[in-house]
Amino acid sequence: MRRTVDDSPATLAIREGTVTAGSQQAIAPESAASKTSAVRALSLGKHIDDRAILDEIDLDVPMGRFVALVGPNGAGKSTLLHAIATLSPATHGSLALFGQTVHRWAGAALRARIGMIGHQSMLYRDLTALENLTLFGRLYGVDAPGERAAELLEKVRLSDRAHDPPKAFSRGMVQRLSIARALMHNPDLLLADEPFAGLDVPSTRNVEALLAQLHGEGKTIILTNHEIAQSLRLSEQVVVLRGGRVVLDRPASQVDVDAVTREVMA
Amino acid sequence: MSRAWRQLLLLIGKDLRIEARSRQTMGLVTVLGVLILVVLGLGLGPGKVPSGPSGTVLLWVAYLFGGVLCFEKTMAVERQDGTLAGLMLAPVDRGVLFAAKLITNLLLIAALAVVITAVGIVLLQFDLSGVLGPFVLITAMSLLGFAAVGTLFAAAVSSTRLQGGLLALVIFPICLPLIIASTQLMVRLAERPDEVGAGGYLILVAFDAIYLVMSWLVFELLLEP
Repeated sequence: MRRTVDDSPATLAIREGTVTAGSQQAIAPESAASKTSAVRALSLGKHIDDRAILDEIDLDVPMGRFVALVGPNGAGKSTLLHAIATLSPATHGSLALFGQTVHRWAGAALRARIGMIGHQSMLYRDLTALENLTLFGRLYGVDAPGERAAELLEKVRLSDRAHDPPKAFSRGMVQRLSIARALMHNPDLLLADEPFAGLDVPSTRNVEALLAQLHGEGKTIILTNHEIAQSLRLSEQVVVLRGGRVVLDRPASQVDVDAVTREVMA
Repeated sequence: MSRAWRQLLLLIGKDLRIEARSRQTMGLVTVLGVLILVVLGLGLGPGKVPSGPSGTVLLWVAYLFGGVLCFEKTMAVERQDGTLAGLMLAPVDRGVLFAAKLITNLLLIAALAVVITAVGIVLLQFDLSGVLGPFVLITAMSLLGFAAVGTLFAAAVSSTRLQGGLLALVIFPICLPLIIASTQLMVRLAERPDEVGAGGYLILVAFDAIYLVMSWLVFELLLEP
């Protein structure tokens, strides 16, 4: 029987308020595949006009890991995600995705393993939800994109709005559809850039549940977020960026909200 | 059919479907083009509007301004909700992204040219009889080069705040040689058709080839999500 958003262990854990770094470990047990790095950045930097947006970033994200990137505005969180997605290539250092070194732009095969939820929905407001999903599915060469789109619309609980355009949706619905778009090609790595921004509490819970469920399915997730407590609750590893540099990189179970807040505010 | 061709057709179909639903580009561009033609006609006064092929200069003014707005609008669709980043993340060659947007732009400005030319013939009594075939050929070849440059720079300036104004400033000087060649060829065809051989068209072919290749090569470098 297909597991839905509502009955997954991750969702239940969130509903019961029991999602912690420890429980996440239980949801996504270590496997042989997790030994491989999904993302490995060495001295990664992005300089624009002698200004370092990212500086000497070292980051290792094993397969299946849920990482939260936190930091103040302008710390470089989104830039780092864009660099990992190869949308905006780094100018210094090296980046490897799934063990393959990335040269400026990733090849098509490598990009096909990445899904991204950005600040913006990346959805065409004049196409229906179903058309948006099938368009991206076809671009990725997904088999039976219509069926996959229907499956994902059910997963994000938008089946009844499949033929409506995103411009008729609430912010929370757009965000859920955006997640479905990012998952159309079943990526191994999901980059979520502030997916909770502007969401009300029920929508936030929905998106949290979706991310937790995806992590439970073994996806590697890198999330940027301003909510420290939420980040610690959802993730296994917390990375604090400040001034374009990594100032803290710890398992979520080994830090608390105060410690992370101190690093963010320092 | 190869994957690249399928993706190309998908992207063109997507653009045309969005345009058919929103009508935000063609409606605006057509009104602007017709207005320009009417204002120029009224400004020149009765009997002063060049009625022969030299009147194509007036048509080109309308094509240019309408075209710039068209390029800006079709690229704005990709900027509105960050869909350009979505396309750049997908396993789609940047050349396919360029070709799809170029063909969309070409189809839209060709439709614009048909409307504007018809308005010119009806309102301003442009007489293209006897040179209609060459006129269509020359205009089509010129619009191809214009669309190539327009697509390239629309992508480049769409992330800046100036957008439309900057786009016109960049495109007009670059396209000037093409427009001069196009209008001069039309005039020569009307006045001394025997002197115009295939060489007259070759210069347009050369401009098209240069603009297309240059735009295709540079597009990847200018594209920023």
